[in-house]
Amino acid sequence: MAPEATRRPFPLRARGTVLLALLVAGAWAAWELELSWGDLTPNEGGVRVTKSFFQRALTPALASEASHVPEGTPPLLVLSLQAAWTTLIYAAASMSLALLLGLFLGFFASTAWWAGDPVGGRTRLGRTVAPLVYGATRVLIGLMRSVHEVIWAVLFLAAFGLTPLAAVIAIAIPYGGTLAKIFSEMIDEAPRGAALALRASGSSGLQVFGFGLLPAALPDMLAYSFYRFECALRSSAVLGFFGYATLGREIQQSFSSTNYGEVWTHLYVLMAIVIVFDLWSGKLRARLTA
Amino acid sequence: MSARAAPSSTQVADLWRERPRSRFVRVSLGLVTLLLLGSWFVGDFSLSDTFSAQRSENLGRFLSEVRPWPLRERLADGTMRDKPWDWGVFATWSGERLSDGVSDRDTAGGLESARGTLAISVLAIVLASLASLVFCWFAARNVASPQPFAPTGVTPSARHRWAWRVVVGGTRLLLVLQRSLPEYVLAFLLLAMLQTAAWPAVLALAIHNSGILGRLNAEIIENVDARPLVALRALGASRTKIALVGIAPAMLPRFLTYFFYRWETCVREATVLGILGMASLGWLIDEAQVSGYKYDEMMFFIGLGVAIVLLGDLISAIARGIVRRAS
Repeated sequence: MAPEATRRPFPLRARGTVLLALLVAGAWAAWELELSWGDLTPNEGGVRVTKSFFQRALTPALASEASHVPEGTPPLLVLSLQAAWTTLIYAAASMSLALLLGLFLGFFASTAWWAGDPVGGRTRLGRTVAPLVYGATRVLIGLMRSVHEVIWAVLFLAAFGLTPLAAVIAIAIPYGGTLAKIFSEMIDEAPRGAALALRASGSSGLQVFGFGLLPAALPDMLAYSFYRFECALRSSAVLGFFGYATLGREIQQSFSSTNYGEVWTHLYVLMAIVIVFDLWSGKLRARLTA
Repeated sequence: MSARAAPSSTQVADLWRERPRSRFVRVSLGLVTLLLLGSWFVGDFSLSDTFSAQRSENLGRFLSEVRPWPLRERLADGTMRDKPWDWGVFATWSGERLSDGVSDRDTAGGLESARGTLAISVLAIVLASLASLVFCWFAARNVASPQPFAPTGVTPSARHRWAWRVVVGGTRLLLVLQRSLPEYVLAFLLLAMLQTAAWPAVLALAIHNSGILGRLNAEIIENVDARPLVALRALGASRTKIALVGIAPAMLPRFLTYFFYRWETCVREATVLGILGMASLGWLIDEAQVSGYKYDEMMFFIGLGVAIVLLGDLISAIARGIVRRAS
């Protein structure tokens, strides 16, 4: 076979093999979990819950459905919007921390500013310290990312108790790690022309980074940050399940007191804010990366 | 302007004035900046609250009890004292956690839960990708159109155009609804309805991720080089034939890249969903805490979760590397 032919995108037989491998992996997982299709049909109690839950899908509650409403409780819609606002504020606060972490660590986790310099003239500091800092940052980012925000939250609940700042930091740590990883990759993959020109005219590594690499990677970085903001909204809502005043708490409380109409109200509010951000960030991505 | 002359300051100013700008982008950035900074004034994120005396006491207890319990002892006055570190004792204790799970509780072992976590994530991503491979064709504007890849000049009827627009819009709405709810919320709701161990976790991850993969796959399809497809159409190929022969082969590498990226996320999420009581590591992490604040065992299972996630990332990185080299 000619070398050109072997480099064709995914030969036909490999495609079949790949799809087969996916199915085999799925079958192994189902076997490992001892799953059967029969388990998908809910039992009697489950059927009752499922029925009464989905019956309310098109008629979400507009007022509280609880039999006893304590004095001073705001109306349901106000309650839901308050929780949505808290969800948004928690997400925004954690994203602002995550962005700082991401930019700071992303700089040290990128190779573009110190490695593979084709123009030459690297200092001894650049040869010895920079790779060490790079490696340490990579490990740190990996550890931050490998613990889920909910686990961080559970850990902080154990260590500090229920404080809003702990929730914000719980989201900010894994998100900061993810942003740092993606930022560093975007910086390293940005067009190098401007950076090389700056280097050739004698700029320092920091100047090359700040004026040559960062501006080229910035649109992609902004677009990705917007997408992560949308994810942060979901994470912040989920932390409500652990007692924070976000939408998750309202969903859990209404569900456990079987006020399914209220659950749908909160779900629709959550869907609405996430979809608004989804559409917004989608449009912005299209503008920024065009 | 000659190519070699340095640009004058007015030329630079002109270039600056003529840079591409978008009001939409600027307003968006302004709003988000306001939100990011404003959140710190609106929210009650005070440091003093987090580091009050009672909380530091809490933190102190937490830190003293993170050490495995065979390696510390409680003194008569109730405080903890560390025994000297012994790798043998630590290995025995770790082995018990891997085989028995949380001590004095009827839980699955650590290894079994780790396997369960991986299995949940694998089945979820396989189901999600199969579903997304069905949805994506109806969400891609170039395939789901009245005259796909027809040569210019062919104008379909208004009724046809509208019918296809409804198909694309409806599919995209379904996908955005699927991904708008977090996996944890979906699993919480499904658990009450199905009342089995693993299906709620698998289905929650599959529903959320098929929403994401469906949209990504649709984008891949829309970005496939259209020229060969137009040629196929001119030769008389049907929509289905173009999709199977022209598009599917070209989209496979990118599909696999996204598949493995999302799988990494699934492993993370599958760990957490156990907190709801499903057969993954989150169950053990939660159980260690609720059954008497066994912080040492909690940290052990969190560490095991980190190992699983890193293993997933490693497999994914290798797989994506193979895909990149093959394409």
